[in-house]
Amino acid sequence: MSNSITTKTLDNGLTIILEEMSDLKSVAYSLMIPTGYIYDGNDKIGASILLTELTSRGAGNRDTKALSNAFDDLGVRHSEGAGQYYTTYRGSLLSENITEALALVADMVQRPKLPEAEIDNVRSLMLQDIQSMYDNPSRRVMTELGKLYYPDPFGRSSLGEVDGIKNTKLSDLKQIFDTRYSPNGAILSIAGNINAKAVLASAENLFGSWKGERIEIPAFGKWPERKMHHIGTDSSQLQIAVAYPSVKFGEDQYYVARVTAGLFSGGMFGRLFIEVREKRGLCYSVYLSHSASGLSGANVVYAGTTTERAQETLDVIFDELGRLKGTVSDEELARSKANIKSSLVMSEESSGSRAVSNSIDWWWLKRIRTLDEIQGAIESVTTNDIDKYLEDFPVGMPMIVTLGSKSLEFKGA
Amino acid sequence: MKKVYQHTLPNGLKLIGECIPSAKSASIGYFVKTGSRDETAKEAGISHFLEHMMFKGTASRSALDIAFELGSLGAKSNAYTSEEATVYYGAVLPEYFAELQSLLSDMLRPALDSKEFDLEKKVILEEIALYEDRPHIYLFMQAFDEYFGSHPAGNNVLGSTASVSAITRDEMKNYFDRRYSPSNMVLVAAGNFNWDVFVSDAEKLCGHWQRFETSRNTDPYQGVQIKKTYTKKDINQSHVLLVAPGPSDQDDLRYPLGIYANIVGDSTGSRIYWELVDSGLAESADADCDGKDGTGCVLAYACTEPERLDQVTEILKRVLRESTDITQEELDRAKTKILTRMVLGGELSMGRMRALGHEWLIRERIHNLEEEIEKVKAISLTDIKSAQEQYPFDNWSEFRLIPE
Repeated sequence: MSNSITTKTLDNGLTIILEEMSDLKSVAYSLMIPTGYIYDGNDKIGASILLTELTSRGAGNRDTKALSNAFDDLGVRHSEGAGQYYTTYRGSLLSENITEALALVADMVQRPKLPEAEIDNVRSLMLQDIQSMYDNPSRRVMTELGKLYYPDPFGRSSLGEVDGIKNTKLSDLKQIFDTRYSPNGAILSIAGNINAKAVLASAENLFGSWKGERIEIPAFGKWPERKMHHIGTDSSQLQIAVAYPSVKFGEDQYYVARVTAGLFSGGMFGRLFIEVREKRGLCYSVYLSHSASGLSGANVVYAGTTTERAQETLDVIFDELGRLKGTVSDEELARSKANIKSSLVMSEESSGSRAVSNSIDWWWLKRIRTLDEIQGAIESVTTNDIDKYLEDFPVGMPMIVTLGSKSLEFKGA
Repeated sequence: MKKVYQHTLPNGLKLIGECIPSAKSASIGYFVKTGSRDETAKEAGISHFLEHMMFKGTASRSALDIAFELGSLGAKSNAYTSEEATVYYGAVLPEYFAELQSLLSDMLRPALDSKEFDLEKKVILEEIALYEDRPHIYLFMQAFDEYFGSHPAGNNVLGSTASVSAITRDEMKNYFDRRYSPSNMVLVAAGNFNWDVFVSDAEKLCGHWQRFETSRNTDPYQGVQIKKTYTKKDINQSHVLLVAPGPSDQDDLRYPLGIYANIVGDSTGSRIYWELVDSGLAESADADCDGKDGTGCVLAYACTEPERLDQVTEILKRVLRESTDITQEELDRAKTKILTRMVLGGELSMGRMRALGHEWLIRERIHNLEEEIEKVKAISLTDIKSAQEQYPFDNWSEFRLIPE
């Protein structure tokens, strides 16, 4: 049985979504604002990330320390971050404090102090974070894959770029804030042990007078040619990252893509795990995930292995990707479905999962999918659907990035 | 309403269950009181390797059978090994609970097939290589090894490429026969399940497991003061880890010192955070108590640019040394943070299962969230001050990792 959900779109374009979960003591909120790092100028990549971080350095009548203490005094575990398409303000706490917590968020997104004195500190943290990414081979290879696979600005690093972060000035941040921190198209999703009516009234009060224009998402440019890239480093393992096209979030074949990803990489039974790790012991970590937004979809594969076994790993991965069509048994299909179904039901137990999932549904679909609807769609996927999907989205020539001390050869799927 | 039950089988297997009828899932886990600290030098890495082998077949199931069965149950299942414990667990929808219990119980009596053993050894060696490429994990492993010296509490969970390569199937069988007595583990369930059925199934599934004596070296450890710098090629950031003696997992001083560590070293909003992270000096910095069975330590860590490592290390030490002036406001704030985390963590059946399992392994008590909350609430500034006098956070060993 699903919980009761209320939605309301205010005059300023902000949609508020509330889900009552009476068995819990917690509540979670997720505010999505329609701005992200794809909107940053080419010479200021990372400006949005810097701005979001700076909004937590004092807002309303509180300076940076007072704001941080106010969150802590309410017991809010919170995070703020600029993503690709949207910027999020999220938190979890005990439900009795939700109104006070939302008031702090309202200050951050409408009345941040944006203190000039703190910019260099935030900049330093961001630049160090980039250095740490370079120190973590698996994180680095996935970052490089994104940049190579997607047309700019859609593959940008979620950490920004060194030059962009250094170039960004307070005036740039103020301009982004004035033009892009807008309620028009924003979503505030709250789930947990709440009285929806009362929380809705508080939220309207806190966010109702927020004003701003609607921002249009830029169009996708020409997709880069897919080929192999190698980045030379001195690490113990060789990292392999692969991407090739798949369906978007919300498209007809979306659930077929999810079930298919499960066949490759669900639990411990996915074909990649079985063939690469269990039968050959080639890797500790290997997976395929279906990464989709409402605008694009891709299958992303990762494996990390010692250099001398990397070529075999790559070959086995592509053998498996190419072999699936026409070979999926009913049992195998049932396993993938069972796995997705149980994740779905378990996510219904967590206020954090519900708040985030509702906000993402609304963002791309302008409605909330019900558990029954998703379960029904998963249940109805057949092996024919999977074969059709594999035909429509073949591996072909994927984008492949390797990182380590030796380059590899791609022999086809 | 939730209800907590316990029962012990004649062979010593402890059963604990927390029934939460409103839950949409149920979790189950075997918590075994064995980990890298129970290994001999020659066995380094064997606990973790054995944890992997539990998924590789039993008398009646092959490795693939296990993988496929977990899949068919839609089980969110995994295992982990630490210095102190090895845990096998899973969460499922209530209708699959009995099947998951049956499967996990069978897995705990592994076949240790030679072919699977050789194959899985390769996976473990890959896992060691993976973590060698992660600078902060690399530093922690080296530092613990050095700090604890011959005391087993610092034994590296993964072992080394050399030690794992040399482990034989028979050595693993011996280790299993020495550590996996039903009396050295606890089976915990939490969520939407039936306690009576759980107990009677456990009797059928585990009642025949042979009990034998197990023991563990829980000697206290006074700590040492050493300073060591490691280098690594191809890294950009530098790391520092300070280690000093701290309260053990059985020591009640863990409550005041845990709160103190939160005030001084929580990853956000703490004194260290304001001095080092908010100021942009360090990318991350924190301090915390790391309690172990019979001993314990306090850890303080920071990651920064190489040219700032000296400065960051000095500030870190100064804040830890000079924080003797904790205010009531800081204490109240830390309590709110800790208590909220405890309540939120206890909301999911998986969280309750873990709390119940570890509490039993460490202190042979039933974890009671309400009691724990009261204990945290009761801590006063005086409690913190007297705990601090016993553990002054100043006899640091210092370990650094810098680019080569």
